[in-house]
Amino acid sequence: MTAIDLKDLTISYSSVPVVHGANFSVADGESFALVGESGSGKSTILKAISGLNDEWTGEIKLFGEKIDPKNRTDISRITQMVFQDPYGSLHPRKTVDTILNEPLAIHGIKDDGTRVLEMLSAVGLDKRYRFRYPHQMSGGQRQRVAIARALMIKPKLLLLDEPTSALDVSVQAEILNLLKKLRKEQNLTFLLVTHDLPVASFLCDRLAVMKGGEIVEIASREQMTKGELKAEYSNELLGVHAQKLGA
Amino acid sequence: MTQSPLLKVRDLTTSFFTSRGEVQAVRGVDFDIHAGEVLGIVGESGSGKSITCMSVLRLLKNNGRTIKGTAHFEGRDLLELSELEMRRLRGNDVAMIFQDPMTSLNPTLTVGEQIIETIIAHKNISRSAARERVVELFELVKIPEAASRLGAYPHEFSGGMRQRVMIAMALSCDPKLLIADEPTTALDVTIQRQILLLLKEIQSRLGMAIILITHDLGVIAEVTDRILVMYGGTAMETANVHHLFDKPMHPYTQGLLASVPNVNNIDGEKLKPIPGSPPDMLRPPKGCPFMPRCDKAMEICVTTGAPEFEIDDAQSHKSRCWLHHPDAPQQKGDAA
Repeated sequence: MTAIDLKDLTISYSSVPVVHGANFSVADGESFALVGESGSGKSTILKAISGLNDEWTGEIKLFGEKIDPKNRTDISRITQMVFQDPYGSLHPRKTVDTILNEPLAIHGIKDDGTRVLEMLSAVGLDKRYRFRYPHQMSGGQRQRVAIARALMIKPKLLLLDEPTSALDVSVQAEILNLLKKLRKEQNLTFLLVTHDLPVASFLCDRLAVMKGGEIVEIASREQMTKGELKAEYSNELLGVHAQKLGA
Repeated sequence: MTQSPLLKVRDLTTSFFTSRGEVQAVRGVDFDIHAGEVLGIVGESGSGKSITCMSVLRLLKNNGRTIKGTAHFEGRDLLELSELEMRRLRGNDVAMIFQDPMTSLNPTLTVGEQIIETIIAHKNISRSAARERVVELFELVKIPEAASRLGAYPHEFSGGMRQRVMIAMALSCDPKLLIADEPTTALDVTIQRQILLLLKEIQSRLGMAIILITHDLGVIAEVTDRILVMYGGTAMETANVHHLFDKPMHPYTQGLLASVPNVNNIDGEKLKPIPGSPPDMLRPPKGCPFMPRCDKAMEICVTTGAPEFEIDDAQSHKSRCWLHHPDAPQQKGDAA
């Protein structure tokens, strides 16, 4: 089954088109990356899929079901999102426990607290963090809470918008390992937005390179690591990274 | 490199005095930079890399104070100069560029005006001569159609072009030392590289020294000569750039390099993060700041910070770790 199926997705902000006819599909359990520079439209696609923006035309199918942009309560149960900035995406005056219980309350799921403990342990946080506030935690720990929150209602698809770009490299490595582990354990589908090709190649099986609102190339990880990308722009992006670290 | 260094920093110690206590941001940093050299200072957030440079230029906020240490620039200790002498030196001999080119430019003035203002403030020249100088600078930093862009406002430039404007401004008085604090962090990857290569090109043409502060190990390999790795307010290791990437000796540097994902060496295996989190600088560890996260820590690391050990003189390689002591147990894989 395909988890995501986009056909001719065109997204405009007022009358300015920012994504022009994007087509791709992601299989159930696959991990797919959208790579490109700022303004290339990668986050915009994520927002359309997640329902944060309903001004689009074309077709979005999630797990075989067509999305109606005006009515999406059912779909938000199977897709959840993790944002870039763990400092901005957690409510500063709510404890971790309250933050994690919120998705359950929204979707009317009854729980006696076991799910919170389960998720804390899944993301590698000790139970003593349950009643702490975000400001008492480091950036990496906050991002773990944001991931736990996204997983509370057992979604099938996780939308990740630059989940590690606000973190230091040694912490980034922890979060990337965690995401990889969770995907395997919970059989999740990932759609990752990043400008960092090494992150995409670590986490994803396939990737789409975007530029100026268009998908210029879709390739597998093997094609990327072997340097077999076809589009000139993809190689320009890859070239930047290959020269990094003198590799 | 037998001539005396352009900037020689010794035992630099800076703290911030907050309502929660003394935050020991920089704890006894030593480093040299020679004329025409590009030094990269690498470290994660809170490692003290920016504060080290801010202390040298005396740009600390009110609650920050450099408690001890010296910073000799061409023989004069910057920490002893009067505020007036310091003001003459900043922008003239030492210039700085910051991370975010949008907030470091005045949005209500044209870019030409801002740089002309800078030049007139430092040099005794006419407005029209200053204007010509700006056109020259814009050509140097490769802003297309330089002469016609002087009247544009910062918002009319893209991020990369704005950073070029900042570089032009920093170069306006021919500094001997340029301090660039994360100059490309706010930019896209392809633009990042253009800006770094531009800096490198201008550096070799004008022969100035550059200190490049960054948290991104990737960006600096290509443009720097030597690297200083900072952690917990201390300089942990320094060496010529390729030598450091090939043979990192300090456990922190090794951990940092191992945690970076790389397109070429990923085959689905796990990344190796450094366990634990950086020290709280309100209460830094008594001994080595990296000790609580170090898997090779020994008893002595808990109580006493390591001195700097000379590893390889030809590569300017020094490392602050007890493992390099002759009596320390031999490490597997050490080929030094």
